[in-house]
Parts: sequence; structure tokens; C-alpha cells
Amino acid sequence: MAEAIDNKKAQSEKVPGPWVEAWRGFRKSKIALVGMGIVLFFIAMAIVGPFLVPEGINDQKLGERLLPPSAEYWFGTDDFGRDILSRIVYGARISLTVGFLAVIASAVIGSILGILAGYYGRWVDTIISRIFDIMLAFPSILLAIAVVAVLGPSLRNALIAIAIINVPNFGRLIRSKVLSIKEDEYITAARAIGMKNARILFSHILPNSMAPVIVQGTLAVATAIIEAAALGFLGLGAQAPAPEWGKMLADARTYLTTAPWTMIFPGLAIMLTVLGFNLMGDGLRDALDPRMKS
Amino acid sequence: MSKKKLWSFALMLLLALVTVLAACSSEEAAEGEAEGEAGEEEVQDTLIFGRGGDSVTLDPIGATDGESFKVTKNIFETLVNFGEQDTEVVPENMGLAESWEISEDGLTYTFDLREGVLFHDGTEFNAEAVVANFERWAAGGPDEFPYYGSMFGGFGDEEGHIIESVTAVDDYTVEFQLKRPSAPFLKNLAMSPFGIASPAAFEEFGEEFGSNPVGTGPFQFVEWQRNDTVTIERFEDYWQEGLPNLESIIFRAIPDNSARLNALLSGEIDLADGINPADAQTIADNPDLQLWERPSMNVGYLGFTTTREPFDDPLVRRALAYAIDKQAIVDAFFQGYAETAKNPLPPVIAGYNDEIEDYSYNPEKARELLAQAGYPDGFEMELWAMPVPRPYMPDGQKVAEAIQANLADVGVEAEIVSYEWATYLEKAQNGEADAFLLGWTGDNGDADNFLYVLLDKDNIGSNNYTRYSNDELHDILIEAQTETDEAKRAELYKRAQEIIHEDVPLVPLAHSTPLIAGDADITGYTPHPTGSDKLENVAFE
Repeated sequence: MAEAIDNKKAQSEKVPGPWVEAWRGFRKSKIALVGMGIVLFFIAMAIVGPFLVPEGINDQKLGERLLPPSAEYWFGTDDFGRDILSRIVYGARISLTVGFLAVIASAVIGSILGILAGYYGRWVDTIISRIFDIMLAFPSILLAIAVVAVLGPSLRNALIAIAIINVPNFGRLIRSKVLSIKEDEYITAARAIGMKNARILFSHILPNSMAPVIVQGTLAVATAIIEAAALGFLGLGAQAPAPEWGKMLADARTYLTTAPWTMIFPGLAIMLTVLGFNLMGDGLRDALDPRMKS
Repeated sequence: MSKKKLWSFALMLLLALVTVLAACSSEEAAEGEAEGEAGEEEVQDTLIFGRGGDSVTLDPIGATDGESFKVTKNIFETLVNFGEQDTEVVPENMGLAESWEISEDGLTYTFDLREGVLFHDGTEFNAEAVVANFERWAAGGPDEFPYYGSMFGGFGDEEGHIIESVTAVDDYTVEFQLKRPSAPFLKNLAMSPFGIASPAAFEEFGEEFGSNPVGTGPFQFVEWQRNDTVTIERFEDYWQEGLPNLESIIFRAIPDNSARLNALLSGEIDLADGINPADAQTIADNPDLQLWERPSMNVGYLGFTTTREPFDDPLVRRALAYAIDKQAIVDAFFQGYAETAKNPLPPVIAGYNDEIEDYSYNPEKARELLAQAGYPDGFEMELWAMPVPRPYMPDGQKVAEAIQANLADVGVEAEIVSYEWATYLEKAQNGEADAFLLGWTGDNGDADNFLYVLLDKDNIGSNNYTRYSNDELHDILIEAQTETDEAKRAELYKRAQEIIHEDVPLVPLAHSTPLIAGDADITGYTPHPTGSDKLENVAFE
């Protein structure tokens, strides 16, 4: 008995679980860790930041507009005399919420459609794949604008639009993964012992095709944040007075020459979060992709 | 692998840095270019005028918008003319009529017309041409010729139509017979929509006349690229010797204020209107540019659709008037190029009531009034903001955001809503807005052109966007139209402003001074208070 336990222990030490292994791979890349640091920083900022900042996000002081950065206003004030630092901190909440929610929604829908298409093939595959092709034929931001134009401009509708345009990316990814997995021997074995389709799909195929979704998901959060900012910039996303970064950029356009700080800080915030997610996504891909293992 | 990453990271940072640096240096580069160009050319004779929007039509009688008149003012001339920078009508202003006489009873106007004036198509301007124009307009309807109906009380045989007849006494004398006296009649005739067109041309082109305008003005029409440019060129046989100075003018539509200013800085255009007050200092400091202030004759306001709940209650409207901090808005978004407004009528216009005491900024009082009206916790509403910069309000979105914060202070949740400009006007006109930002630039300098046009019940469905209807006000405004004694008229208009102040169908926000910027070597340009300028005297040094 004791021997058997020891044996198990020894085995688990020799062959670490796939997640532990991935984390080890990830940890090796400094750049990926920097990316994760940035992401964690912004997430922390989104969660606790609004309780710490000096000013409310919509405290207009028209007498103190367009003040340059100072000890009182670290990032300066915007054209309504609002503290830019407070707005950027609060804006992290908006951007990250949109980024995560949109990606989760598109990943779930995309995965379901992708698995169905890949596993069942034939006409199911044809219909789903053609729909993806049609959606991918549009430039994504144009499609998002069209969706928002139909639903009406608001932050929620921008989120829905971004979720919709990202569905085919996930769908195609999962579909190709499923296509290769379902030919694997353990699937054939499962089918041979009479396992039901549903069980094969959810306990074998789905877990084994998750890795690329995670990588794609991390990278997609970055694009989703940019797309939300773009929609906000065009006036189709968050509406006034929400401190959405893209909208802040649009509002600052007029003051590009006279008050550049109104533009620089929201721009930096967008750049840094996107950079963080991209670096982290790259690290994850390296860590999760078996081909990268040397 | 990680080395490669480091490199790409460094590269990215470098790129960001380069972008920032490029943004800093671009201004200098553009200035240098502009200087180079000016040195090489001899004397420029084409003016490119950048503006916020395209014309709607080039047949002035079909238009009501400033962008159309801006062009037609240079193609067409009116019987009588406003002064260079005022709205006085005197013979010295060189209209198509050399002089005129008004009968004792104020019902007969006789005009002596200028001789030797030619239309651009070569036909002669005479009394018959004037009669033909007025016959064409009177035979139309409000959809076709909107301004004729609202200035002369209707069309054809309609009850309100004040023009009984227009007859050619001889080749160069025209007589107007009115049904009742009309104080603003001469000023009305000087308005851009009543430019005299070539009868031969409007008969030939019919409905297409709006794209083929033929008048007697200093410039003739060349071509119109929709939503882009309108080109007009010097009319060789213009009756004023030696004018115009320019060979041609190109009106170019650049909707975005900053983009238009950039085009001016880079030398793409020579003159730009709709300058952001925030940029005024930059322009004043730039030796290559000059800045003009258009004499103010406008009002920007927050209108309430007085037929919608809860804005049908004057208490609510008054409460919101108290809630808005006009002074702060004017300081922040007009930057000194406006004064706060307490009447819908600008102070330059005769009849302005200076005794009105404005609703001062007082959130406490606003909350009190809201409670009285039955809304102690406020309410939710839509606040409409225009999508385009207008001369009376350079940035409607910002003003809306400031008002939104003001209203939030008294418990009113406002959601800012905006539509494409034409849709915005149409929907607001139909009464679909709760409250909306809008404004008005006077077309003839008369109080009638503000109070009657904006707030009389006759104009519900056209320019009375508030749908405010008050019979007492209506009687006063109609009486003021027929009264010819200026002092008595002024009294009537003062009374009208009291009623309007009491009922608050709209909150007047500001009388702005629109800004125009252009190359430093432009001479002879004088911005007119009506917003459309005659450009025959403009030249480059």
C-alpha cells in the first residue's frame, strides 16, 4: 500500500501537470512576466483605484480647465476641469470590463460553434464555416460600426459588437483544433468503447483544445480594448460623461497643440494595457505550444 | 527568443517616441512650406474658402441655411443692400435699386433700378426681370421657397401674403403694392434669399436652377462638386467697374474644425470660418495668419419642446434655467468670444430689452422649483446636442456635457443624444426632443427675424422648434410687424421679451462672436453679421 503511494508520488514529480509545466515555461520569459505585471497592475487599478483617486470622475470645475500636470493634478485637468488621473483610473474599469466580457462572450460562442463545426462536419461545418467567412470578409471595425449603428451607440452595444466580430476568430481556431484531435487514437478508443458524442466532446475534445483559446483570448482582450477605444473615439461607444479612454482621446483632439496632456495620458493608458496583454499573450503561446518546447 | 522580443519591444518604444516627436515638429515644417510658396508666386488671384458644410442649393430662394447663402451672396444681388458690417438699408449700399420712395401710408414702394446691369447669361436686368422673379416666388409654396412665405406672410392669394402686386412702371421702375404696412419690408428685400435671378435662366433650367444659378453678381457659377467644392469665377461684365478683384473663388467644405484649421496652416485653403475659440490665440500669434471677428448677431440656446412632459410645465423650464451656469459655459467653451444671453434677441438689435433680469445660476432655487412642480427627486431626460459646429455655438457636444453636469447637480439625469445634422433638425422640428441645443443667426437685423421666427405659433413646424404657442405673444408680434413707428415697435418687442422670459420656452445661453482666420496677405474682407459675406473687394497683397 505504502509502496503504491510512493510510486504515485514519484510519478507525479517526474511528470508535472500540463498547467504547472506551462507556468514554468511562462516564467522563463521575462518579457511575458513584464506583460503580466502590467496587466495585473491595470486590473488592480480597475478594482481598487476608484476608491483611492482624489476626485470624482465627473466633478466639473470649469474654472480650472486645461491645467497642466501639477502636484495637485498629477495628470492635469481636461477641458471641463476634471482630474485626468481620476478619470483614467476609472477608465481602466470600463476598458477592462469591455475587454474581458467581450472576449469571454465571443470565446464561449465561438468555441461552441467551432466544436460543432469541427466534430460533426458535413453540412453543419459548411454552414458555420461560411458564416465565419462572411464575417471575416468585413474589416472588423467596420463590422463593429455597422452593428453599433443598428443597435444605437452605447457602451453595452459596443461590447456586443466587439463580441460579435471576434466570434469567427475563436470559432475557426477551435474548429481546426477539433479536426486534428478527433482523429487521435484516444478519441477513436473512446468511441470504440461506446462513449456518447456529448461526453467525448466535453470531457475529451474541449479540454484538449483549450490551450489555443487561452492564448487567443489574451491577445483578443488587447484588440477588444483597442476596438472599444476606437468606437468610443468615433462617438459610438461609451457616452458622455463616462471616462472611457477612447472618448477621452476624441475629446482631447481639439487641444492637441494647446494642452497635449489631455491626449498623452489616455493614449498611454491604452498603449500600456494593450502592450501588457500582447506580451502576456505571446508568453502564454510560447509556454502552451508544444512545438516551442525545446 | 527572448532576445528577439527585447528587440521588438525596444523598436516599439522607439516608434512611439518618433510619433510624438513627429507631432511636435510638423507645425514648423508646415509653416516653412507656406512661406516658400508665398515667395515663389506672384500675386494670388484664387481664393479658397474653407467652411464647415456644403451648400444645400445655389438657388437662394430655395435655401434657409448659411452655407447656401455664403455662395449665392456672390452670384446674386438683391434690390437693396445691407451695409458692409451692419443691417441698415440705404441707397449708398449699392443694391440693384439706385433709389426708392415709400408712400405716406407705407403701402407703395417704388424702386428706380440701376441701368446697364447684365445677368451672367448676357440678358439684361430690368423691371420686367424683377417682376418675373416675384411672380415666380409668389406662385410657389413653402416647400419650394420657404423664406418667401415666412418673410412676406404667405404665397399668391393667401390671406397673410402682404404683397398685393409687383408691377413694372417702365423699363427701370418697379412698384410694390402692399396689403398692409410692413416695418421690416426693406430689410426683408435685402436678405440673401431674395437675390434677383435671370428669368431666362430659371425658365430654361426649371428645377435644375439650383445647380445652375445665374444672377447679376460679381462672380458667376462654374461648377459644384457635391459635398466638396463650389467654384465661382469673375464676371467680366459686372456693372461695378474694376470689381471683383479676384479671378475665382473656391468654397471647400471641411466639416471638422481642427481639420479646417490644419488645412489653413498647411496652405491648402486661404480663409477658414468656424474657428474654435480655443485656437484664436494660436492664430493671433502666427505672423502668417490674421483673425477676424464677425460682428455678433446670433443666439445659441437650449430649447425645450414645450409640448412634452415634464417640459410643458413652466415651473420645470424655469427650474432648469436656474440650474445652468451660463457664465462658466461661456468662459470655458467660447473663451471670451461670447457674452451670456438673457433674451433670445441679441443686444445689437433694436427692441432689445435690457431690463430683463436673467435667471441667475442658483441650484438651490432650481431644486426648490422642481419640488414645487412635483419632481423633488428630479427626472430623466434626453439632452440633444448638435453634431456640427455652428457659428452661434462652436462645440455643442461640450456645452451639452457641461449642462449635463449642471442638471445632475439638481437631480436631473440627462442623456446626451445626437444625430446627423439634417436628421437632428428634422426630429427636433417634429418635437421629438425633450430639450435641444440650437441657435439662430439673424438674416436681416430685425427683432421680427428672431422673436417671430423662433417663437411664434405661426412657425411651429418650421423654425419654432420649441412648439411654444402663446396667443398673447402672437398678437404682439403681429402688431409689431404692421406697426411702422420704430419706437412703438421697440416697446412691443420689449413686452414680447418679458412674456418669453416669464414662460422660458428656451434658455438663451450666449451671443457669440464667430471667428474667421485667413492668410495674412488677404485684404478687403469684412465679415458681415448675417454670416454671409460679399467677397468682391477681397484681394491678395
